[in-house]
Amino acid sequence: MKTLLELRDITFSYGAESIFQQVCFTVKQGERVAVIGRNGSGKTTLLRLAAGLLTADQGLVLLDGCAVNRMPRRGIARLIAFVPQQLFVPFDFTVDQLVSQGRTPYLRALHNLSAADHAAINESMSRTQITHLRHRIFNQLSGGEQQRVKIAIALAQQPKLLLLDEPTQHLDIGRQAEILELLLKLNQEGMTIVAAIHDLHAVQQAFPAVALLHERTIAQGAASELLRPEILAPAFGLSSQALPILRRADHFAMEEAHIESTR
Amino acid sequence: MTQPSQVEVQESRECEAAAEPRQPATRSLLAIVLVLCLLLVGEIFAATCIGAVTIKPGAVASVLVNRHAEGLEMEKIIVFQIRLPRVLAAALVGCGLSIAGVLFQGLFRNPMADPYVIGSSGGAALGATLGIVFLPHFSLLGFGATASLAFCFSLLTMIAVYWLARVGGRTPIVTLLLVGLALSAMLSYSTTFVVLLHPDSYVAVHLLTVWLHGAISNTQWSQVAVAGVMVGMGTVLSFPLARSLNALCLGDDYAQQLGIRVEFLRAAIILVGTLLTAAAVSLGGLIGFVGLIIPHIVRLFVGPDHIRLLPIAGLAGAIFLVLADTLARTLFSPTELPVGILTAFIGGPVFLFLLRRGKREYAL
Repeated sequence: MKTLLELRDITFSYGAESIFQQVCFTVKQGERVAVIGRNGSGKTTLLRLAAGLLTADQGLVLLDGCAVNRMPRRGIARLIAFVPQQLFVPFDFTVDQLVSQGRTPYLRALHNLSAADHAAINESMSRTQITHLRHRIFNQLSGGEQQRVKIAIALAQQPKLLLLDEPTQHLDIGRQAEILELLLKLNQEGMTIVAAIHDLHAVQQAFPAVALLHERTIAQGAASELLRPEILAPAFGLSSQALPILRRADHFAMEEAHIESTR
Repeated sequence: MTQPSQVEVQESRECEAAAEPRQPATRSLLAIVLVLCLLLVGEIFAATCIGAVTIKPGAVASVLVNRHAEGLEMEKIIVFQIRLPRVLAAALVGCGLSIAGVLFQGLFRNPMADPYVIGSSGGAALGATLGIVFLPHFSLLGFGATASLAFCFSLLTMIAVYWLARVGGRTPIVTLLLVGLALSAMLSYSTTFVVLLHPDSYVAVHLLTVWLHGAISNTQWSQVAVAGVMVGMGTVLSFPLARSLNALCLGDDYAQQLGIRVEFLRAAIILVGTLLTAAAVSLGGLIGFVGLIIPHIVRLFVGPDHIRLLPIAGLAGAIFLVLADTLARTLFSPTELPVGILTAFIGGPVFLFLLRRGKREYAL
């Protein structure tokens, strides 16, 4: 499969605090990758580097074969959509107005939305099942609904790669399942997905591939290989007994078989 | 694997039929703008009739249509030399402050930002006063010292506020208000200090009244022309920023990931907002609350979309200030109130109401 995103020998630090030391990270088209690691391990930083929102001290970020730092911002925005953990909206924007903003990379300053733009907006709302909320004010929505709106903004960008930072955080178990189901569905439809997630159960349920961040390095592999107590315990600073019971590869094998059959 | 583009094209076609018609939205914006324009023109005409000496609308119409109309000498003088430049100045100041308010609120992602609150007006007032006191004959590209120094000082103040109030990529309300408060106080006292250095005490007192309380009086056509060019340029330049401002409201990261060059956008907003503030202050001094309450009220009616907000707030601000200035010069006629007193009487309670209503959001 074609490589969509590649972080090559990336070194990054916030001032004196080193986050990554010559790490590599690769995402192939159509993959569904969970980024896991303890708090402060650099999950959000990894996503922000990938989206071109941060510049690495050393190394190269390649998106669809092109160096991100040489691409125009609008070009990056058409390939990657980043869904941050929090969205603070200071004014009473409606869902419709927010999702419309996903078309920003395609619009000129004084031009109206075209029929294609409207179609993309409507489609992204329908895929995230928020069409009925389109006239509601974003700040008055529940956490789960807001998360869907954030994903809809990203889909309106019509990207190839969706980066999500903690998409299930602060959601109840039902809404978590809905968001994971939505990500699974989007992935089945062809969207490549990378999500930073700290809930290992959610990772286990929905992500066949995992990137584990630990001590300025990244270990990447199948979930079945990495979601093992002996690997996770040192990464999360836990004794292996304290880790949640993790199901093994057979679950993912079944899920992958199901996805393949639906394709 | 299904390619996203194919899915998009296919579903786009399906959704196209279901898409809500947008043309009416554009038409409704044009209709609102047209109605407000007519209202403003009518108001300017009415305000030209009203004053210490009331002129009949017919006489005003006659001199406006024919400047050489005979038998209306006094009306001609009152209309062309006193009232009309002043009323137009009020409209320009209202428009400039309102649009600057919208721009700064978008930039700071904060509904409490306005040129007066964040100190930008204070900077412009100090610059304008310095120009009047020390460089009365200075001229830069046809702009007098008042306008050009007002612009420079306003710009410097804005950069200082932005730099001082920003914490970790955000501009918290507390920091913004405190920085604005501190800088406004410093600038206001600096203006008083500069005015007191003026050898002519009468001029000094007049300057104090104008710059610190906001008043549009004795406006010359040349001032209206300069400020008109500045407000016109600022207004026209603000429109292409509208869509990017919407994205900026979601935060720097969001705006950047939507393809916006955030640093460039910020610089453009500061420049355009400063141009408008400087034009307004060079005509009317420190007129508070206009840039705060007009965007708020307009947002209640048309929503926060800057594509609609900018033109409507500009016109609403012009209408509001023409009304306020007319009241300021007629309520206690022949004594004139500084218009800043009226805008503070109206704007102060509205500001407090907004603070109370949003106290959870703006909690200290």
